Amino acid sequence: MGNVERCDKTLPTNEMMFHVRRDAVLRARFASDLEGLAREFKLSRAEYEALRDKDPRRMMDLGVHQYYVPQILRLFFGAAHNSNASAALECYRRAYPEETAQAMALQERLERSR
Amino acid sequence: MARVVAAMAMTHSPGLTGWFTRASREYQELALQATAEMRRRLEAARPDVLVMFSNDHLLNWPINNMPEYTVGIGEEHIGPAEWFDEWLAMEKYRVPGHAPLARWIVNEGGRRGLALSYLREMQFDDGISVPTHYLNPDAQFRLVPVTMNCTVPPIPTPERAYQVGARMRDILAAYPGDERIAVIATGGLSHEPGGPRYFWVDEAFDRWFLDLLKRGDHAALLRECTLERMEAAGSGGTAELLAWVLVLALTRGPADVLAYMPAVAWRSGTGMVVWNEMA
Repeated sequence: MGNVERCDKTLPTNEMMFHVRRDAVLRARFASDLEGLAREFKLSRAEYEALRDKDPRRMMDLGVHQYYVPQILRLFFGAAHNSNASAALECYRRAYPEETAQAMALQERLERSR
Repeated sequence: MARVVAAMAMTHSPGLTGWFTRASREYQELALQATAEMRRRLEAARPDVLVMFSNDHLLNWPINNMPEYTVGIGEEHIGPAEWFDEWLAMEKYRVPGHAPLARWIVNEGGRRGLALSYLREMQFDDGISVPTHYLNPDAQFRLVPVTMNCTVPPIPTPERAYQVGARMRDILAAYPGDERIAVIATGGLSHEPGGPRYFWVDEAFDRWFLDLLKRGDHAALLRECTLERMEAAGSGGTAELLAWVLVLALTRGPADVLAYMPAVAWRSGTGMVVWNEMA
């Protein structure tokens, strides 16, 4: 099966993100005091550091559900016009250079062929 | 008795509203034409209510307690959820619900061996909001949202989705009212939201899947389009096509594929489909 099977349903980050997305106060805490918020939700040091470093690969290696990863990046960079050129998605280019390069080549090929 | 009068499916990629103009002008026009045609056919079918099946993106339930299906039983539905309005670049919308039908689905599902969770107040992300924007922008149709788990292991199989669809067909038909119902699947096509292949779409898979719908051979689709095949085409996202497979069970014969776009810019294979015959 695919990447989604790697998620750890018991990982504190996954639990925290459910609440953060639904609560403006927690979102503000994420921006102002991520370390304290991580402590309250009992994230491991490795989880906290992966979030702090905005590193999709480390997050997913730890078991963060892939769907939450762009949402975490949004908390750092904002959401508006989250196109493939946005700052948030630059993190994916760094974390997954090969996959991202293939996708960008695909996009160029598709656009050239039309 | 109630009657299903229309069945259709469309991609709900947030790019379709949030960063629509990042795709080529050709794709923008195709998407607008196809959704306008869906709306035209919907209006011609004169439904009283849309029953919309969509993936829950971990918004309504935490990952430790994800039901297979959840029915929104509220008198009114309001979206997008606060976290998503900027992402989707959408104003808030309000759509009247159909609480009696929604509650019937939950309870009749129970009587027929189908465990359906429910929420009186449901939050909406792209899954319901994007199709609502295109198909029901003035809230002329009442809405019963049904979210499903397509992304938290264990992900249900296409066979299971089809079985639920067949049961849903019986549940809707047995509703003691004369409502005209449109069933709408949202999600897919190939994409891997947040995964290592976040920017990828699998055009070959998408065209193959749409060809299966055009053939209208349900047994062949269920035999060939396994969950493993969906996952290979984009993990955690392509399986949103389970909603399409569910709705397939309420139809008969070939589907009209109105549009297909391998839209990397929207980070999703993007398609719109309408069925002509109800089962």
